[in-house]
Formats: sequence, structure tokens, C-alpha cells
Amino acid sequence: MHGVPNDPPSPVRSSIVFYLNGKRQTASGDTLHVTLVNWLRNHHGLVGTKVMCNEGDCGACSLLVGRTDADQATGLRYQAVDACIAFMFQIDRCHVVTVEGLATSRNAAGNIANHDLTAIQQAMVDCHGSQCGYCTPGFIMTMHAMVESDQRLDDDAMRYGLSGNLCRCTGYVQILEAGRRAAEQIASDPVRQKIRLADRFDEAVMIADFRALGSSPIASVGAHRTFIPQTIRQACQYRAAYPNAVFVAGGTDYGVLRNHDRLAASDVIWLGQVDSNDRSAETSGVRPRVGFQEIVVQDGRLTIGGGATWSVIERAVAKIAPEYHHILTRFGSPQIRNMGTIGGNLASGSPIADSVPFHLVLDTELELASVRGLRRVRLEDFYLGYRQTALEPDELIVSIQTRLPKENERLRLFKISKRRDMDISTVTFAILANIANGQIVDAKVAVGGVGPQVMRMAPAEAFLQGKVWSPETLRDAGRMMRQQVTPWTDVRGGADYRRQLVENLMIKSYYPSKLSITSDKARSDDES
Amino acid sequence: MMNRDAGKPSVGKPLPHESAMLHVTGTAAYIDDLPQIAGQLHVDFVGSALAAGKIKRIDINAARAIDAVAAVLTHADLPTHRNLFGPIFNDEPFLAADTVTYIGQPIVIIAAEDPAVVRRAREAVVIEYEPQQAILTIDDAVAAESYIGPKRTICRGDVKTAFANAPHKLSGTFRSGGQEQLYFESQACIAIPGEAGAIEIISSTQNPTETQAVVAEALGLAMHQVVCQCKRMGGGFGGKETQSAIPAVMAALVASVTGRSARVVYDKDRDMIVTGKRHDYQTAYQVAFDDDGRLLAVKADFLSNGGAYADLSTSVLERSMMHLDNAYYLPDVAISGQVCRLNYPPNTAFRGFGGPQGVAVIENILQDIAHFLGKDAWDIRRLNLYRDGDSSANTTPYGQIVRDHVLLETLDELERSSDYRSRVDYVRRFNTDSQVSLKGIAMTPIKFGISFTTKFLNQGNALVNVYTDGSVQVSTGGTEMGQGLNTKIRQVVADAFGIGTDRVSVMSTSTEKNNNTSPTAASAGTDLNAQAALNACEQILTRMADFAAILLSDPIAGLTPSPSSIRFAGGQVFDDRNPHRRIDFSLFCSAARRERVDLGARGFYATPGVDFNRDTGRGNPYYYFTTGAAVSEVTIDRFTGELVVERVDILMDIGKSINPGVDRGQLIGGFIQGMGWCTNEELVYGDDGRLLSTSPTTYKIPNITDIPKIFHVATIENAKHQINVYRSKAVGEPPLMLGISVWAAVKHALGALRDGAVFDLPIPATGEAILAAMESANQSLCVSKKLVP
Repeated sequence: MHGVPNDPPSPVRSSIVFYLNGKRQTASGDTLHVTLVNWLRNHHGLVGTKVMCNEGDCGACSLLVGRTDADQATGLRYQAVDACIAFMFQIDRCHVVTVEGLATSRNAAGNIANHDLTAIQQAMVDCHGSQCGYCTPGFIMTMHAMVESDQRLDDDAMRYGLSGNLCRCTGYVQILEAGRRAAEQIASDPVRQKIRLADRFDEAVMIADFRALGSSPIASVGAHRTFIPQTIRQACQYRAAYPNAVFVAGGTDYGVLRNHDRLAASDVIWLGQVDSNDRSAETSGVRPRVGFQEIVVQDGRLTIGGGATWSVIERAVAKIAPEYHHILTRFGSPQIRNMGTIGGNLASGSPIADSVPFHLVLDTELELASVRGLRRVRLEDFYLGYRQTALEPDELIVSIQTRLPKENERLRLFKISKRRDMDISTVTFAILANIANGQIVDAKVAVGGVGPQVMRMAPAEAFLQGKVWSPETLRDAGRMMRQQVTPWTDVRGGADYRRQLVENLMIKSYYPSKLSITSDKARSDDES
Repeated sequence: MMNRDAGKPSVGKPLPHESAMLHVTGTAAYIDDLPQIAGQLHVDFVGSALAAGKIKRIDINAARAIDAVAAVLTHADLPTHRNLFGPIFNDEPFLAADTVTYIGQPIVIIAAEDPAVVRRAREAVVIEYEPQQAILTIDDAVAAESYIGPKRTICRGDVKTAFANAPHKLSGTFRSGGQEQLYFESQACIAIPGEAGAIEIISSTQNPTETQAVVAEALGLAMHQVVCQCKRMGGGFGGKETQSAIPAVMAALVASVTGRSARVVYDKDRDMIVTGKRHDYQTAYQVAFDDDGRLLAVKADFLSNGGAYADLSTSVLERSMMHLDNAYYLPDVAISGQVCRLNYPPNTAFRGFGGPQGVAVIENILQDIAHFLGKDAWDIRRLNLYRDGDSSANTTPYGQIVRDHVLLETLDELERSSDYRSRVDYVRRFNTDSQVSLKGIAMTPIKFGISFTTKFLNQGNALVNVYTDGSVQVSTGGTEMGQGLNTKIRQVVADAFGIGTDRVSVMSTSTEKNNNTSPTAASAGTDLNAQAALNACEQILTRMADFAAILLSDPIAGLTPSPSSIRFAGGQVFDDRNPHRRIDFSLFCSAARRERVDLGARGFYATPGVDFNRDTGRGNPYYYFTTGAAVSEVTIDRFTGELVVERVDILMDIGKSINPGVDRGQLIGGFIQGMGWCTNEELVYGDDGRLLSTSPTTYKIPNITDIPKIFHVATIENAKHQINVYRSKAVGEPPLMLGISVWAAVKHALGALRDGAVFDLPIPATGEAILAAMESANQSLCVSKKLVP
């Protein structure tokens, strides 16, 4: 890549354009650094969207964000998003639908007649799906997001789709019943229900408006600048021109840190609008292996663009890497997976990042881009220490390439957390064993949550080589690993617990995978 | 009651929650949704950085110097005698003066229009401390004799002799952890200054009267100068019974000093760090039993972590002591209880109010006895049940007779409906075969005493206004936190007047309309307030009937005025002797007003016959008991301790339900909250006493995927229950304790690892705790027989 650092692209837009419940809005400057929920509640007077945790872990602020889809010629594709950790700069060319947007008519007092409720709202009323009501708008919006993505509102799908929404009152059973009731209603009379947002809003107008905006990047000035590049090259150029600007990918970490004042406001380069197919980084004619948000499976290799969100990856790997897929269904929550990207996850350098153990045992290589060009780094060499990576401050991850397990290789992945879903891992674990005639030809093991970074277990790997594949062998290797790991005690568990888990997960990996505990049926069916 | 014959078109129906339409459309307003008043100040505070210390210096000059800061207040702004409050003991300062006793304890209040300015000012406050030794464990508190209130006892019989003669004995120490209420709407309050020093408080509180009183005292006002109102809470669960007072005083103080309205809304982390929770307990117990597993004597010494101030801790402990028996007859018994003073936020009410901590102790004992004797725990529990009408097994340790219940019938019905026997066989076979999982199954019952154990709180009042169009407003002292109180009151009042629920509005709770009310707590919200509302309705109906009797009389037809023949039904008024002639209720009300009939009334209710002498530990504190049982089946991963709750069957006696839909929600929601307490809800503290699990990210309440896939909820008829409003029973708290069946099922599963060995398993049984228990069994570290020496 041969960009000139102080030559920002032009022409540029200086404000974002979006629609809120069907009405066009623009925003620029410091407003872009306000969270979406704060803008709605404090600047716009829409208080139906609630805040509880303010860190993307309860779903009370869930709303819908609709975007034009490259694969979809007509219509907007809606996803549920946690509005507390989404910033205004992330909603350019989006249609934001809040609970207020579901109303077709209402009087000044906000009273809505029965027939104006959507089938989902009506079912929640009839089935006692709300008690205190505080989490209810979030549930309503997430259920609508499920309908928008053609999920059925049955028990299995709801257990998957609503795992990012907490309720303290109901115990969820009556919410599940409301889902069933709504599904019946929707199925019985799809036209009259007007359940789809496309039936309620004139999406064609919005799409035409978004298209007319073209593909110029956005640069907005205020106390802090906002850049929204459309290509990797633009992103790198902005970073070179404004060295204090931070790259924000999904923003799911950034939002939490900002909300808790653990990160000061700064200039931001948001990567969410880098074109899906963009590969505008190169060194000596070598270009990224895939587009920034693309996923390619070829020749036994899985190559993922750094900007791909987890929900896209989750769908893409369901068939080719079921173990990985299973872990991803427990990664954050649907809302988080709709925003968070693999590049952001790997770059954060967290020792408990759920994705890392899988990639670490499968010969993964990253491509990193900056104005200085493109370079490739093996994942083993990428992590240097606690939240320290080989990523230079001006670099961003543009692709991740991982080979897929071969037929003779046995892959097991584990995520242990206090609560099964929407919880940060206590320990993450991957083993890849090449077994022939009951003997281990070679094995790779990676463990997270037991040291400053996700670690390969070299001594245990060496020990396993040539040994009989048995629980005893694995236990012995697990005991070696116990000695190697350096876990700490924190809110998620004690050091002894983590050590014991490391040993036990080795033994557990002997037994066949049983991807059936809660709602894996729904999770794999969704992809079919 | 005059209108009972007219039928109950609303009572008994699963009508939607009265705010459900508002909930699903996002139009139900919580405190922070209310519009800003011009000039309104945001209020926040600086809390203690230490769990224990002396304050050497508070420097607020830099904070005050920041432009746009409207107020920076300390204890110096509150006269010493007004800087103290407490629902039982007046021991808790609003703002720390000389010493700090828990991390986050409020010291300096800051107010400004812009929240960013408030944040800057907070950082500019300088507080210097001299650290002191903090008491952070119950053992440390006992060693330091750091207590709150006296040691209480409840005793019966001769425990000493019983133990001396008993064939089997077990002893141990049982630990249960605290629990965060995690209401979704954090503590929040708006104070609006009124005329002549008066203050209006809009608070997310279960206790408007207490809030009114506390604000009045802090500001040096008379109670009539303070009005506190609450439309609804985004959850309470006990956490807003007393602890909503501190934010209310902060807002009121700012409003009083600045003359501007003031808004306090805690963020969730702040809320979790500074507010009290369910008390963690440590209970030393001894039990004596015979070969059949029949309890002979029980001795239990409860120690609770009260936190730094008394709050409601002594009452909570009292309920623990009175629920050690749970549903079982304890022949000889010696119970003691002592609240310990530790350097944490004052622990407080949480659904169950000490009940769970008491019930868990006896359920732990019974699970151990079953395992010890190699018998089925169901049989042991059934054997020890209170038996209705059997004077040898129907009296609680504190002397109240447990009557008119269906505990035995509940267990027998549940045994059939849950298919317990064949499932327990299946679990046994499964555990023999499976190398990767363990299964467990257990039933635990509940018998929960309904009434405040503090007699005077068992009262309620209501204001009913009938308007000339026949629509009705009802206001009570009860507060709506999602539990459906207002929905039930609306049904009761609608039926009283024979009109539809759409003609009845339950109004915001306000001390202006209902004075000297009790907190909405103890599951008694409907019992007290619906009964009071009914009392008000009856007064109005009596006057209406007198008027209607004349209006509908027909001397020519020989129909003399007869108030007792007047009926109110179907939105109409008629004389039962001539039902063809009917007057529309709205026209009737209009006519009644013109004839100067009073269409408003204030009702009152006091629960009859309840009292308790806490010095002697004897009395009849409860009006009745709500009872039930649950069976839970769990699967545990042998390698990781991960837990899946597979199936739950609940069977409860909740009397004749006023709203089966609302009550079903209470049964399920309560159970799941109890399950959370028993499994994943773990409060983790640092060595310095700082809470580390400060948000839903690190404090894990049940998720939708934690809900058992098979979940049966049913109620059992109880014809013997003939008291209380419409013969209903309180339902809010009792099902929470059925969550203990999940924990007991875990214990049952662990029992499969070693015959006869008794395991310690604390609450919560996190994956970590379960794995530790399994590892101790694998390594033969468990103590085989824990006999009392």
C-alpha cells in the first residue's frame, strides 16, 4: 500500500445519515461520540429503551438496527443491538427501530389500542410475559429481530435468540410461552399481522437515500474526530494522519470501557463500513487473502476477513467446524455477536477470548495492515503477554487464516463459565489430536484463562506424542499442564479451580462430543 | 359482604398485568424516564474508599470551585441528630462523619445540571483516611464480639437429653451466601422543592411512608411537609424496602439546599457496591435422629452477616430462626440467632427475608440423614412433615399450631405427578453407567409464615373514589414492583362494584392519600391492601345500597326499600327481587351524587390474631402459612462441575388465586430466583472488602438457557383454607425457597460418588463448588461419618 499519510481521502461527508423509526436524521461532531441509548433517551426524548447494566450484558437496551445488505437487493436486514454500547458513529446509513417504532398509532398519552400491538407484544401481554416491565422492551425488540431473521419463536430458537436478554422477575417461562403464542398468530395470519418491519416502514425510500450517499468516507470534527473509512486504505491513512485516533471495530469492548471511564474519549476510526470485499492493502503485490468482511472456505482452510462479525462467522462455520460453531453460539450474546468482529476480538489480546484456543491449535496466520503495508504473522507469535500483541499501534487485522481439522484429527473445544450463556469464560480449552490406531501421532493443546495469554501446552504436547489415546494418558498430560499454567484467582473462579479444570478437560476430551446440552439443535437448525 | 352473591367476573381470572400494555410498548415510566424539570440537578456522591477507617479530612473546596457545580454537601450540612436513621435501630448515618464502615459509604453529595460536571466534581473531592482493621468474615466478627442486637433464642423440650439418648447424630456448619436483588431499575429518586419548605419525593421505593418519615427527619420537617409517591418500580425484591431511603435523602437535601429539583439515579455498579443484599449465614447445627430418619432433636446457632448497620437484620434473623423447622415437626429444639456486624453495606430485605437461610439448614440436614441412612430423602422428608390435626406433630418451635394445610397431600400428589419413584431409579442406574455425567433428583417442601413478625406492620389502608360516570380510582399504601398487586386490587374493586376492570384505575402510591402505611413486603401486599380496598368499597356500597333501595323501590308493586336486596353486577344496579329493572352504574353514581351520597371512602384492615414475643421466643406471628413443594432433577458434568437443571415440578397451595396468571408468574419467577441463589449467584469480594461482582457481567443471575426444559407448575386445592381476602394466599416469597430443591438435587447427585459419606456443599453450588466437592470425593478426602463426639 502506498498511501500518503497526510492525504486524507476526499470528497468526504461530515455528518452521518440515519433513520429513526422511519424518520430521517443527521448527526455530526460530538454527538457521534454519544451512545445510541443516551442519544435516544437524553437528546431525543425516547425513553422506551431502558438501561440496566450499561455494558451490553443484560439486553434491556436492545433495539433493531437495519442495514442494506450486499447480498440482498431489496429490503433492510435488521439485527438486535445493545444500544448502551453502540455509539452514534456506528449507525450511519442504518434504520434504527426502537420500541416506540412498533406503534402504528397512539394518542398523546401514549395509550395504544389493543389492535395496534404487534403479535409479539400482544402475546407478551396475554401470557404474562412482563412483571416489572423494565426488561420488556428489550425482549420485545429482540423477538422482533428473531422474526426479521426468519427464526421461529419456538422454545429452542428463543433459548438461543434471547440468551442476551436478562429478566429478573418472570423466570422466562411465560416469555417462552408468549413466543409460542406469537408464532401461532404469525403463522395463522401473516398478512394481517404486519409483523415484518418492511410492512411498516417505507424501506425503499431509505435504501435509495443510503445509496445516493455514495461510498465517500465520513470525517466529522468536534472535540473528538470521527472517521468512517470505506476501505482498508482509507482506514490506515486516517490513522497515519491522526496517530491518536483509535480503531473501533464492533465497539463491544470500547463501549464498556468508555461507559466506565476506563478509556478517555478520543478520535475514533470506525471500521464497520469498510466494504465487505475490500482488499486495499498490499505489499509487493501481495494483497489480503479475503475481503474485509468476507469468509472463504477453500482447500481445507478457513479464511475470515478481520471485519467479519461473529454472527456471520457463526453461520459460516456451522457445517465445516461444528465444535467451533458450538463455542461461538456461547460467545457473548446474539446482540454482541451482531456487533463484535473477529479482528477486534483477537486484537484485544484477552487471555479469555473465546475464539483463540481453536485458532491456536490450527496453524493460524494473521494479516496485518498499515500505511507501511501488509504483513503476515503466525498467531503463536502474535500474543506477547497480558493484553499485549504484536500488533503495532497503527495496524489492523485484515484477515485470519486457519486450517480446518482433517478427518484423522480429533478437535475438542471447551468453554467453562460460571453461567452457561452470556458469560465471560473462566477457562477456555482446545485440543487437536492426530490419532492413528489408538496412538497419538501428535497433539496440540491451547488453554486460556490460566495465564497472561492463551497458551500452547508444549510439554504436554511432547508427552502425548506416541502415547496411547486413553483417559489415563490424558490425565497424566493434564497433570503436567497443571504445573505449567499460572492461573489467578478472580471473580470468575479460584486458581485451584482453574488448575483442576485444565486437568479434567484433558480427560473429558477423551469422551465423544455431545453437542446437545441446551439448545444446540436449534443452533444448528438455524443454519440449515 | 354485600356483593359477594353477585359473582366474581374478574377475581380468579388470569387477566393481564394492569401495566402490561405499557410494558410492551415502552410507555411504562420509571423514575429516570420522567421528563427533566427545568434546572433539575443530577445528584451523585463520593463514597468511602475503605471498608473501615477514620476520616481525617474531607476537602471539598476544589469540587465547589468548579463552575456549574450547584452543591457539594457533607455531614456538616446535616445536624448530627438528623444524620441518623434505621428502620429498627436508629444507628445508620446518611453521610459518614468521623468513621467509615463500608466501601462506598456515602460521604459527600454532589449536584450539578450536567452529569459530566458531577463526575468532574467527584474526582476533585479529597478525603483522607486513617485505615482501621476491617471485619470481613463472620468468624472475625465472632472473635471481636462485633454484634448487632441481642442474641435471640427459640427453644422447646430437652435437647440435651434427646441428644444423649439418640441412636444417630450428625453435626456441621452450613454456609449460605448473600444474594444481590438485582432489580433492573437501580435505586432512583427525584425530589421537588415545594412551597414553604415542603418537599415532594418521587421514589422507586417499596416503602413510601418510611421514605417520607426519613426525609422529614433528615430535613427537620414535619411529616405533613413531605409527600412521597411511587408509581411503579422496575423490580424491588426487598432491596427497596429500606435502602431507597438514602438516595431519597440525598435528593431531598439537594432540593432543600438549592431550591431546585434533584434527581438521583444510581448506575448498576454503584448500586451493587453500596446497597445491602441477602444476608450470608453461617450456621452450626447438630441433629439427632432414629433409624427411620425421624428427627428427635435439632440444635442450630445462626450467625448472620448484618453488614455495618442494623437495617432490618434482626427481623431477618428472626424469620430464619422461625423457618428452621420449614415443613417439619422438630420435637426437641434449641435455636439461637445472632446478627454480626461486619464492614459491608448493611444487609437488608430480599424476597424470603431470612426464610431461605433457615430452610436451607434443615434441608441440608435431611439430605444428609437420608444419605447417611441409605434411605430415600423423599421418605425422610415425608416422615417428618407437620401433620394437620395431630397434636403430637403440629406445633412449631415457637408454639404456633400449623393448621388447615395440605402438606402431606401435596407431597403425595407431587410424587405421582412428577413420577418421582421411577425417575429416582433411573437416576441411580444412570449414575452407575455414565462416566461423564452425574444426575441427582430431590424434593423440598416449603411452609412459609405469612405476616410481618412485627405486629404493628400488619395493617393497610386504602382510598376508593367513585366518580359520577361510574369509574373508580383506588389508592392503597401498597406499591407495585411487578408482582401484580395493582392488578389484583383492580380485580377485587371491580368485582365489588360489579363493573369491568377497565373502569377501575389503581393510582400511584402516595403518602398524601394513604398515610402510615407498611412497606410492601412479607408477601402481604395483597392480603393487607386488597382487604383494605374491599373495606372501603363496602362502606361506599352500604351507602349506595341505601340510596338504591329507595331509588328502585316501587310501593305500588309492593317493593319496599330493601338495601340487602340491592345488587351491583354487570355494570348495573338492581333489586334482586325485581331484576328486570336495572340502572346503569354510571347513571346511578351520577344520581347518587345529586342526592348527596358520599361516593368515596377510606378503608382499613388489620390482620387479626397475630403476635410474637421475641424475648420468650413464643407466639402466633403468622396469620396462615403458604405451603408447597418442588422436585428438581439435575445433571452435573463430572469433569467441570457444570450444572444443568433438567426438570422441575412445582405444586403449591396458594388458596383461591385472585389472578392465576399473576400467581403463576410469582411461582416461576420466585423459584428461578431461588435457583439463582442456590447455583450461580455468587457475590465475590476482594481482601479489602470490595465487591468484585458488581454488574450482570460478573454476577450471574439465571439466563433463559438455565431454565429447565421441563417445567411443570400446578396448584393444589385446599378446602380447609377459609380465611384471607377471597380465600387467597400470599405467593410472593414462598416459591423462592423451592429453589433449594435444585441444590438438594446436586447434593443427591454428589452422594452417588460415595455411599454413606456426608458432603459439605455450600450455597451457592457454583460449578467451582461442585467440582471441589467431587474432587474431594474422588480423592477420598471427605469425612466418612460426621458424628457428634
